[in-house]
Amino acid sequence: MTTIRRFCCNDLLRFASVNLDHLTETFNMSFYMTYLARWPDYFHVAEAPGNRIMGYIMGKVEGQGESWHGHVTAVTVAPEYRRQQLAKKLMNLLEEISDKIDKAYFVDLFVRASNTPAIKMYEKLGYVVYRRVLRYYSGEEDGLDMRKALSRDVEKKSMIPLKRPVTPDELEYD
Amino acid sequence: MASKFGLAGGIPERRVRPIWDAVDSRQFKNALKLSTALLSKYPSSPYALALKALILERMGKNEEALSVCLNAKEILCTSDSSVFVDDLTLSTLQIVFQRLDHLDMATSCYDHACTKYPNNLELMMGLFNCYVREYSFVKQQQIAIKMYKTAGEERFLLWAVCSIQLQVCCGNGGEKLFLLAEGLLKKHIASHGLHEPEALSVYISLLEQQCKYGDALEILSGKLGSLMMIEVDKLRLQGKLLAKAGDYAAAVDVFQKVLELCPDDWECFQQYIGCLLEDGSILTKETDPINTRKPIECNNLHISEELFDSRMSDAVNFVQKLMVEANNNSERCLYLAHLEIERQKLLFGKGDADKVVEDLMQYFIRFGHLACFTSDVEMFLEVLDNNKKSEFLKKLVKEYEASRSVSTKALGQSITVFKVQNLIGDVFALPVDELEDIAAQMTEMFCKNLPLSKELDVQESMYGEELLSMACNLLVQLFWRTRDLGYLLEAIMILEFGLFIRRYVWQYKILLVHLYSYWSSLPLAYERYKSLDVKNILLETVSHHILPQMLASPLWADLNDLLTEYLKFMDDHFRESADLTFLAYRHRNYSKVIEFVQFKERLQRSNQYLMAKIESPILQLKQHSDNIDEEECILESLRCGTQFIELSNEIRSKSLTFNEDLKLRPWWTPTSDKNYLLGPFEGVSYCPKENMHNLIKQAEANVLKTVEKRSLLPRMIYLSIYSASASVKEKIEANGSAVVPKLSVELKVLLERYAKILEFPFQDAVELVFGVSSGQKPFEGPNPDIIDWMNFAVFLNAWNLNSHEIRFSDGSSTWNLVNTLLRKYVLEKITSVGPIASSPGNEIPFLVQLVTEPLAWHALIIQSCVRSLLPSGKKKKKSGSVEQLNSQMSHEIQISIESLCGTLEAVTKWLKEQLNKPDDVFEPIFSSIQRNEKGNGPGKVFKMLESSVSQMKDVEVGDRILEALQSWNPADVVRKIVEGRGSLLSEFLKICELKIKSLKALRLQL
Repeated sequence: MTTIRRFCCNDLLRFASVNLDHLTETFNMSFYMTYLARWPDYFHVAEAPGNRIMGYIMGKVEGQGESWHGHVTAVTVAPEYRRQQLAKKLMNLLEEISDKIDKAYFVDLFVRASNTPAIKMYEKLGYVVYRRVLRYYSGEEDGLDMRKALSRDVEKKSMIPLKRPVTPDELEYD
Repeated sequence: MASKFGLAGGIPERRVRPIWDAVDSRQFKNALKLSTALLSKYPSSPYALALKALILERMGKNEEALSVCLNAKEILCTSDSSVFVDDLTLSTLQIVFQRLDHLDMATSCYDHACTKYPNNLELMMGLFNCYVREYSFVKQQQIAIKMYKTAGEERFLLWAVCSIQLQVCCGNGGEKLFLLAEGLLKKHIASHGLHEPEALSVYISLLEQQCKYGDALEILSGKLGSLMMIEVDKLRLQGKLLAKAGDYAAAVDVFQKVLELCPDDWECFQQYIGCLLEDGSILTKETDPINTRKPIECNNLHISEELFDSRMSDAVNFVQKLMVEANNNSERCLYLAHLEIERQKLLFGKGDADKVVEDLMQYFIRFGHLACFTSDVEMFLEVLDNNKKSEFLKKLVKEYEASRSVSTKALGQSITVFKVQNLIGDVFALPVDELEDIAAQMTEMFCKNLPLSKELDVQESMYGEELLSMACNLLVQLFWRTRDLGYLLEAIMILEFGLFIRRYVWQYKILLVHLYSYWSSLPLAYERYKSLDVKNILLETVSHHILPQMLASPLWADLNDLLTEYLKFMDDHFRESADLTFLAYRHRNYSKVIEFVQFKERLQRSNQYLMAKIESPILQLKQHSDNIDEEECILESLRCGTQFIELSNEIRSKSLTFNEDLKLRPWWTPTSDKNYLLGPFEGVSYCPKENMHNLIKQAEANVLKTVEKRSLLPRMIYLSIYSASASVKEKIEANGSAVVPKLSVELKVLLERYAKILEFPFQDAVELVFGVSSGQKPFEGPNPDIIDWMNFAVFLNAWNLNSHEIRFSDGSSTWNLVNTLLRKYVLEKITSVGPIASSPGNEIPFLVQLVTEPLAWHALIIQSCVRSLLPSGKKKKKSGSVEQLNSQMSHEIQISIESLCGTLEAVTKWLKEQLNKPDDVFEPIFSSIQRNEKGNGPGKVFKMLESSVSQMKDVEVGDRILEALQSWNPADVVRKIVEGRGSLLSEFLKICELKIKSLKALRLQL
């Protein structure tokens, strides 16, 4: 019931029912298009019959040496299609591409420290809180950097949590 | 010439770094100072000049910036070999030229540099980028080929191939060009092979576009095929190519493999079925229909009955097998697959409707609690006749009642039952009191199930949120049937209650935007709209919920914000889109290159964009219509309206795009130019979904006409002002200049065109307005048409002042015609709006438009006449006859001013009456939902809400919900509606009063 395929520009015109949700950010065009132009394999959409958009995931791959990793920038599911493990499917797809195609060491993501439901979901998917980023969201709320090791990181070194929190300017990437 | 280590544009980096830093920290004054110092040391360095230009542009000094840029360009383009040229210099200049809208100059700089230093890849890339920005696909191709020849790299060849594809897809290149591209690729592959997955995709798509499916398949299964890393993607492509080539049997095998790997892939399953039935239509489905709803496909299959039977039994077996293998019960696809097979059988004429119902029941038992159940099964319900549909519904209710329990699953199931009932159309046939009962039941169910959500975070959707939207839909239908505003208030009440419990539910907000708009509480509608936080691309797809209402409102400041934000978003995108296209080139994602260019074109042809582009200046003209001097400045900045005439000329040849997401609109207003509530109840047979397709087509045709018509307005206003003043001057200076007749002819031409758009020959149009004003002919058109006719009459009068061509049989003037028409409609509408307490006030937008458009333009024409009658400075000695003529005119104008003032005063009097007694309004509105003694009419749902709220206060619902329940106050909702409406009327009153004031001032001058 779910067709997962690469996201394309025209999908931007059809994702209103997903993006009107207040937790889903609608970025500016250059943001989406930069992702499409650079990491098209990390931007997928799930469709239901009648071409209804169920949800989508966008991400990228970046880093050097052992910190070469996949990154989940956004994952979201329309209210109508929640509680069906769609986010899990989309996450698995991104993990697989990071693992098999780009041979990354891990996948990471940032989440608001207050977003308990999301944190719980990511934990179920095998992510652990790697570190806390102080005042990451608009200089107010802390963010959690969560990680999951991929097959290349045999000893799962990338997931060993840091002891102290970091500040946004200590982050390696945007 | 290349950048040397430590040099930037030929200047030591340490000297320029402080300038960069100053620019980065936006200290432009300081940057300019530093750059002037640098220039004194390197007066003829193009880079130093480019930096200065960049700073000047950032400071908003565009002219100076351009002149510095041109200076740099001149130096760069000399044949002097000592001039330092590098990409940094050129790209800096490019940035400034682009921001100043002179892309061509940047291109010419690069072009010159490339000639001067042939074979320099960096410069050639810069030039390629310039052509990408200009959308010059042919030149892109040429320079890419040159780069390919210079460096021999695969990517440059693909840049060339993409440029060729663009010529065919987005330019005017013929399909033969594909052959050229194919030839280039073949030759390259023969000697070097291919190394990038995207290169393979481009190659395949090139073959596919030429219908060379066999060749494409061969390549895919050959050595190059290994470039596709994701196996299932490769299989999908293979299946598609096989089906397109007509090899359905092989395609079926491939799609089976895909389904074995991804059993939940619904699109693939449909393709699989399509191939089994040897029907390729599924592969040529319309690209991205945002709104189009496919009607039920009628099977036109060419296969025999026996073959059909055996293929369908293959499908059944295959799905069975997949079900056994699948260990995950949550995948809906396989269950729906059974339904799809049964549906196909029915369409083929060999089906069993009972089996479909049975399968639907199975699907309900498993997935009935999911919010997407109804949309999942919609297409299967469509093939059933009404009896079977009702039978299904009965079974559904029975099944659900048997398994009733208090749980999220049961709640989900009951919502599904309501939704199916709505989908089948049964609710439309129910008597009023039953509908009330259902709405009350939904409201109660929402409240009773609040405890299920007690643990949820405020950010999370609550259980049963849909119930309130559904109840609202029923209440609006009750209003439509009975015209009792109480139902509308109940609809608003439950939605506001829902938002009080959880403020994030966008579905409620959209419904409220439309309900408040309908009930003339537009400020409130706008507030709700703003809380949706619509931005970026959503502006294109979601603003239709509010924009049309705002266009006909007195809320000019808010409308201006809406239009400005939207136009800024679109224009920003058009500006940056080419750079993103180049980014795709650079990262070798060639398919995205074509996609980006096509997407930009799609947005450029957006009907909403065109509409906003014309409505934004019209708004300005409305805002300044009380002051003719300001109005003329605006018209001047609009090139006297000529640019819009061009737009209007082109409109019919443009294929406009309609990107609005209409699916989220409420049932009673499926498109922005249709609102069922404005007309009478259309009976129980009414089913909005059926005619959705036609409605959309109609709306699209209307938009075209509206844009064409509206783009004539600025020019007609300009010409009318001119004509009015010329009509006076002509009499003063016996022989006016030759320009005047020319403009008068143009105005006539535009009037004829305007009449033609209204589907009337000019002469008939004149007769119609005359007939209506003299009471001989009725005019019963819809409101927007009346506005158009008023505009026509106003401009007709302006034209006639100068041409004197129209003479009515009763001796009346065209002045009189306009005065009468304006008064007639204003008075008519004021009477029909009715008192605020008992009427939704649907005529208010019409009144606003009447006053702010035709009446305003007429007042402008009067201003123009008066100004010419009273020339400033020395007065010329006039002859007796001219003076007589002028005094006659002055008399006509005085009458016209009197008449306009009278008309406007009628409006202000009415507005003041409405505004004076908000408390008198509150009571009757609020009491409309207090159940009367007889127990009929609206109020049942509200009563249910009230009693449920008080009951739930004693139940464990969690602190957050409890707090909301305790502070909920329905009277506040009514108060806000009254206030919202009040502020709309006040804005309108202000506009009218200003108009009266300016007209009275004008009268004093005469």
